[in-house]
Parts: sequence; structure tokens; C-alpha cells
Amino acid sequence: MTNEHDSRWSDDVAAYALGALEADETRELEAHLEDCERCRSELRWLTAAVQVLPEGIERVEPPPRLRESVMTEVRADARREADTSGSRQHGGWLSRVRVGSFGWRPVAALAAVALALVAVAGYEVGSSDSGNGAGGSQSPVVTREATGLVARMVREGDGGTLELANVRELPNDRVLEAWVRRAGEVEAVPALFVPDHEGRASTRIADMDGVETVMVTSEPEGGSKAPTSAPLVTMPIP
Amino acid sequence: MTIRREKAERLADEELMPLLGAKDPEAFEVFYDRHGGVAYSLAYRIVGERAAAEDVTQEAFISLWRSGARFDSTRGSVRSWMLSIVRNRAIDHLRSKAGKAPKLTFDDDSILEQRPADELTDAEAMRRETADEVRGAIGQLPGDQSKVIELAYFGGFSHSEIARMLGVPLGTVKGRMRLGLEKIRGELAEGLA
Repeated sequence: MTNEHDSRWSDDVAAYALGALEADETRELEAHLEDCERCRSELRWLTAAVQVLPEGIERVEPPPRLRESVMTEVRADARREADTSGSRQHGGWLSRVRVGSFGWRPVAALAAVALALVAVAGYEVGSSDSGNGAGGSQSPVVTREATGLVARMVREGDGGTLELANVRELPNDRVLEAWVRRAGEVEAVPALFVPDHEGRASTRIADMDGVETVMVTSEPEGGSKAPTSAPLVTMPIP
Repeated sequence: MTIRREKAERLADEELMPLLGAKDPEAFEVFYDRHGGVAYSLAYRIVGERAAAEDVTQEAFISLWRSGARFDSTRGSVRSWMLSIVRNRAIDHLRSKAGKAPKLTFDDDSILEQRPADELTDAEAMRRETADEVRGAIGQLPGDQSKVIELAYFGGFSHSEIARMLGVPLGTVKGRMRLGLEKIRGELAEGLA
């Protein structure tokens, strides 16, 4: 390892650990890290320093209502989860997938960020091989993307279960987040989800009433308020 | 207090994670009680407003709950993982508010410091010790190094933005970041090893 190497990468590793590199530099460094154990080791070393930074800040007592608010939402989620468990259908559906020619409709009111990213990423909105399973509102809707990802929406009462297959493995710090467009407004589906080792993933959408489009994006751990990456799947709902 | 909660309280963070993944509200409550304070403090430190800090903290914990608490032990402790989620949310909030400047001090009026020692659990006592070490390490940094680290970590600024703000070359900013982090890491080496 040369001094030239050290001078080139060491400063970048520190900035990367702090999340302060620009996007292009981040991509370049991450490519370098794949082949450089020395830089990976330095990154582990410096990351430990970054991770303790919050421990040194002034402590501010959170208001009791914050705990109440968080736990109220958590317990409501748990109750909904208990109510819907057992009604989900998993596994084996891919063999029954029927793919038609469901055209992608422009989604004018989708979050501007998402649309911009779709355009930048060259997402093939017009060429998705997508389709409607049987045409009835309670019949499964199936969409297959050019990437090979297949999505299936199974309606159950007022809600539905979105099932994905052929999802590529996500980085450890990414999750899947579903979005619905309803009356021109984009809403995040609360439950974040991740694919299993076979590339399958599913999430429950509690209220499908009035939903025009379902979309799934890869988001940073913890999810996002609005889509920040090109959709992995865009599913028009008839 | 239920038996279940009492059992959850005896579990280490890493042992709580499978229960969070199974959507156990009692386990999550224990998790919140352990880390809600530092999470809110970090959010407040970044966004600078109590109402916004509440929103950020709530969003972070709810997203963690709903994502099934997918924790990767190779990437650090549960606490640091959770705090990274809080930081990301808080920085997102800052950016949505168009560049609010962060405070640039590591002031300490720790609530923990005001509590009697016998109320502290072993884990809390260790965190208190770590907090002292972190503050000590940062306090020893030259101002130009601590400033770029704080602007990056608590302000969410890129090195390019920091260079423009401070009127120094890009390489200088990155160099100061490296020197500062290396010093902090060196000071904490024994405790973090």
C-alpha cells in the first residue's frame, strides 16, 4: 500500500464515515472498499468514533406525551397485525401469475421527488410488462416489471396484501417501502418490509379504498416520508 | 407491570431485537424506555426545536417498529443503529427546512448527571462513562477539527458545503475530519475495543 493510496483514500474514508461525501465520491469509494481491506479496516475503526458522537451531547428529557404517542401507535399496529394475521396468502402464487398488458398511467400527483427520480433513472414507465389478473376489483392484480420483479395484489376486504417475487437482495441499510396514490395524494404504507432469501416480500395495505396506484421503492433504513428512489414496481389498480 | 415486561427488562438490546421483529409491544416499550431519551436528545440537538424533535423521534421509533427492527449486529450496537435512524430522520427534516444551522457546541447538562448514582443501571453507568469520554475526547480537539465533524454529523452538511461555509479547500475539510475522528477514536480506543 503506497502513501499515494493513503493520501487519496484516507480522507475520503473519514468523510464517508461522517456521511459527508458527495454522491459520486460515495460511489467511487464504495467501489474501492470492495477491494481494499485496509480501507475497510480504517472505516470500521473510524465508524466506531462516529457512532459514539451522540453520547456526548446534552441530554434533553423527552415529554411524557411522546412515549404515550409512540406506544399508542405501536399497540394499535399490534392489534391490526393480530386482526389480519392468518388472512395473508403466502407462497406458491408465482406459478399462478398471469401477465397481461396493463399500461402504466402517468401519476400526475405522485410526490415530485419520486417522479423526478423516475425520470432521471430512465425508468421504463411505458414498457413495463404488467397486467390485470382477472379484471374484477377483488381479483388479484399482477404486474411484472422489466427487471423481472413480479408484484401481485390480493384484495382482502377493505385492504389487500401486496406480494413481490424476484426482488433483488437489498443492502443491509435499505428496506422496501410501499406507497399508494389516492385522489391525487401519495401516502406511505406504514409497514416497511424486506425480501427473504428467495427474493419474496409482502406487505399489508389496510385501506385500498380509492387507491389508483401502488408503488414500491427501496428506501433507507427506517423508511422515508416521500419516495427517494425510482420505483421497483408501479402497479395501477383498476 | 406485567411479568412479560419484567422479563423483557432483563434482556440485552440484542436479545430484544427478535421480540421487536415479532412485533411485541411490551418489548418495544422496554426498548423505547432505554433509548427514547438519547434519541430525543439527538433529534433535538440536530433540529433545534422540541416539537420537531418529537416528530422526528416518533417517526424513527415507529419506522423501526414497522420495519421489524431489522438489526445487523456486524454494523455496531443496537443503540448506535437506532441513533443512526434518528439522525437520518433529523437530517431529512433539517434539509426539508432548507439549511437550518446547527448549534456548534457539545454543551452538557446531562439529565443523567443529575440522577443519583444508585438509580443508574450498569448499562446506563457505562453510557455515562462513555459520554464523559466522548466529551473529553471532543473537548481536546482543535476547534477547526471539532467544527467540521459537528457540521457533518449534526448538521448533515457535505464536505463541499462545509468548505464553502468555512472558506477552506475541500481537502482541508476532509483532512480535518480524518484527524478529528482519529483522535476521538484513539482516545476511546480502550473503551471501544
